[in-house]
Amino acid sequence: MSKQINVALIGNPNTGKTSVFNALTGLNQKVGNYPGITVEKKEGVCKLPRGVKAHIIDLPGTYSLNASSLDESVVIELLLNQNDKDFPDIAVVVTDVENLKRNLLIFTQIKDLKIPTLLVINMADRMTYKGISLDIEYLEEQLQTKIALTSTRKKIGIDKLKELIANYKDVSSQPCIDISKIDDAYFGNLRKAFPNQLLYKLWLVITQDVNFGKTDRKDFDAVEDFKTKSEADLKRLQQKETIKRYQFINNVLKKGQTIDATQAKDLRSKLDRVLTHKVWGYVIFFFILIALFQAIYDWATVPMDMIDSAFAFLSEWTKDNLPSGAFTDLLSEGIIPGLGGIVIFIPQIAFLFLFIAILEESGYMSRVVFLMDRVMRRFGLSGKSVVPLISGTACAIPAIMATRNIESWKERLITILVTPFTTCSARLPVYLIIIALVIPEGRFLGLSYQALTLMLLYLLGFGTAVLSAYILNRILKIRSKSFFVVEMPNYKLPLFKNVFYTVVEKTKAFIFGAGKIILAISIVLWFLASYGPGENFNSAEEIITKEYASENLEVDDLDQKIAQYKLEHSYIGIAGRAIEPAIRPLGYDWKIGIAILSSFAAREVFVGTLATIYSVGNDDEETIKNRMAGEVNPILGGPLFTFASGISLLLFYAFAMQCMSTLAIVKRETNSWKWPLLQLVIMSVFAYIVALLAFQFLK
Amino acid sequence: MNTIIQNILVFTAVVLAIAFLARKFIWKKKKSKKSCGGDDGCGCH
Amino acid sequence: MQDTLAQLERGESAIITDVSSIHIPLKLLEMGCLPGNSVKLVQLAPFHDPMYLNINGSHLAIRKETAAHILIEKVTHE
Repeated sequence: MSKQINVALIGNPNTGKTSVFNALTGLNQKVGNYPGITVEKKEGVCKLPRGVKAHIIDLPGTYSLNASSLDESVVIELLLNQNDKDFPDIAVVVTDVENLKRNLLIFTQIKDLKIPTLLVINMADRMTYKGISLDIEYLEEQLQTKIALTSTRKKIGIDKLKELIANYKDVSSQPCIDISKIDDAYFGNLRKAFPNQLLYKLWLVITQDVNFGKTDRKDFDAVEDFKTKSEADLKRLQQKETIKRYQFINNVLKKGQTIDATQAKDLRSKLDRVLTHKVWGYVIFFFILIALFQAIYDWATVPMDMIDSAFAFLSEWTKDNLPSGAFTDLLSEGIIPGLGGIVIFIPQIAFLFLFIAILEESGYMSRVVFLMDRVMRRFGLSGKSVVPLISGTACAIPAIMATRNIESWKERLITILVTPFTTCSARLPVYLIIIALVIPEGRFLGLSYQALTLMLLYLLGFGTAVLSAYILNRILKIRSKSFFVVEMPNYKLPLFKNVFYTVVEKTKAFIFGAGKIILAISIVLWFLASYGPGENFNSAEEIITKEYASENLEVDDLDQKIAQYKLEHSYIGIAGRAIEPAIRPLGYDWKIGIAILSSFAAREVFVGTLATIYSVGNDDEETIKNRMAGEVNPILGGPLFTFASGISLLLFYAFAMQCMSTLAIVKRETNSWKWPLLQLVIMSVFAYIVALLAFQFLK
Repeated sequence: MNTIIQNILVFTAVVLAIAFLARKFIWKKKKSKKSCGGDDGCGCH
Repeated sequence: MQDTLAQLERGESAIITDVSSIHIPLKLLEMGCLPGNSVKLVQLAPFHDPMYLNINGSHLAIRKETAAHILIEKVTHE
């Protein structure tokens, strides 16, 4: 039997660690979560020479083993727990040839844990460009490791890396630095108290706030002849440790690395001069945003229309070709339209993730953080809040998780609270269909009214987020230190492979995650809409036939009337009409009410719900949009979706907190029910009032 | 015969759907108070 | 009175002389912000804040208030 070895990929952010991971595993990868927390866990399988199989984990990017965030704690927890099933047989530290000095810091730390460690020096293609040359043999000897010089862009060195991993038994596990040199007395005592433990490991347990299984901090208090130090003293020691590590690294690199600055071409500073410019930087950022929204709206409509008609056709085909009966109805009226309501948004979501992935991969996002920090701080946010606010346009959940690198708790909390105002991709389906219904065609300055409306809605989302941040900043009395450190990575042409994997993975997760919920809800809704209690529902045919007996209706019209009557007296109709008084002032009928209620599972369910409700008992091959356009306002007559009710609905969806998953994540990230409940109540009440005012004013 | 099979299929589908939703939104909530475990159930990330 | 990093102007270089560790997060130290290392101001956002620096070969941005806790000695180009 071939043995499977555990490999952990570790490294600073922006070193191309994920590209190395992609190069090793290809599409043989799986993205999940670490149990109990929402840190993304990426793992994959790679076949190595001589039949060895490697299970590879791509650990979150971290600058050192001194964790300052949840993501970073994951790395330490794994490396300190030998009983973990993922505990690495070999650690692979990925570094960027241009930032070798800084990237080696974590390498020395892992070596000191006596874990066999390989060094990958990535982005080797940039060496000549930057005038860097390396003495690999010397470095291997000094760092006591094996080195793979790779370039994932040029596909160099990956085979060598696989070869080195396969020979993992030959890799040294000697430490780099003797930690006790930092403070002889202190570490001498520590060694005396725990003679069998690795000194650096003990040191990490003392200084880090993570969960270490068996070795617990309490054990330190229990031992009598060992007294730990005050926090300030510990920090001073950590500083000494860091200085010591850099001394070691500087010494090694002095001989092992030569940089000929005259050879270096500096594209970076040229780009930075423009992209972070006091004026041009902001202008360019603004145009990038405009381009993004125009593209999402314009490019995606073509495939979306195709998908819409394809599902309408499929629905019709099912009805005609399968034996008639309740289950066929469920398929053609419940499941297929419900699925259509989700599949139709694949193009847009893919575009959105594509843009975000490119902005992140290219290194541009950090420039935006730099540009926006001062502006955002005025509203109680951090420059780093820009990333959640932009990626919130995809989904608030990863956006809220992306707030973890905001150093100040107050800035982070405010970011978490306001992020759900940004227009997430789940709102997009609702916006698009309503815009298509109520906003007239036509152009203004070359932009279509519909695209402009969409852009206004995005601006409204951002505006509300920023404004409520300003208010929260005034109200919340939280004192917290405000730190702000952001790395400005090199500009890189985004790797097609990386962007492609991100888009595929995220879109897949979106479809299968939300898709299952939408499918289940469509089935339940269809059932509730197709069955009803009592006389009214069961003898609908007779009641209607009798009522219109004198009017001599066409068969088709009569069927339509019967179907309507049945729907109104089905379970869902009864429930819907019960809540109708609450939503009528906003301009909605009970069907929209049901769609809004089911939106609390996920906003995008709205379209699927309406599609299902409108298809029940409807035989024609129709697209969702046409069905909605055909709806008649039960009281006022005329189309149900007018300018007034449409705008009211758009505003309601812009402000209401309708995502249970977001509430759950906010609870988890803030560790309290207080904040998510506050969000739910305030946002929803605000949404109701604004929608009410809008409808009453416009009608 | 056909009608009966179709009704059975409908019934199964509905029960499965309800069970799925209940597990996703009700059962999981209770568990999350203790350990906050599992996948968050949004899927859009 | 010694200069602090906050007083550095665009394009100027300096050597870090002291870092008051209570006010500086460990993360910044780990990114190379340590006594003896060189620092160059690459770019400034409006209002001199935040500051985009090249410290010891690492490019990073920090706020002015943090920079005020880092003592430097300017390197004058002749």
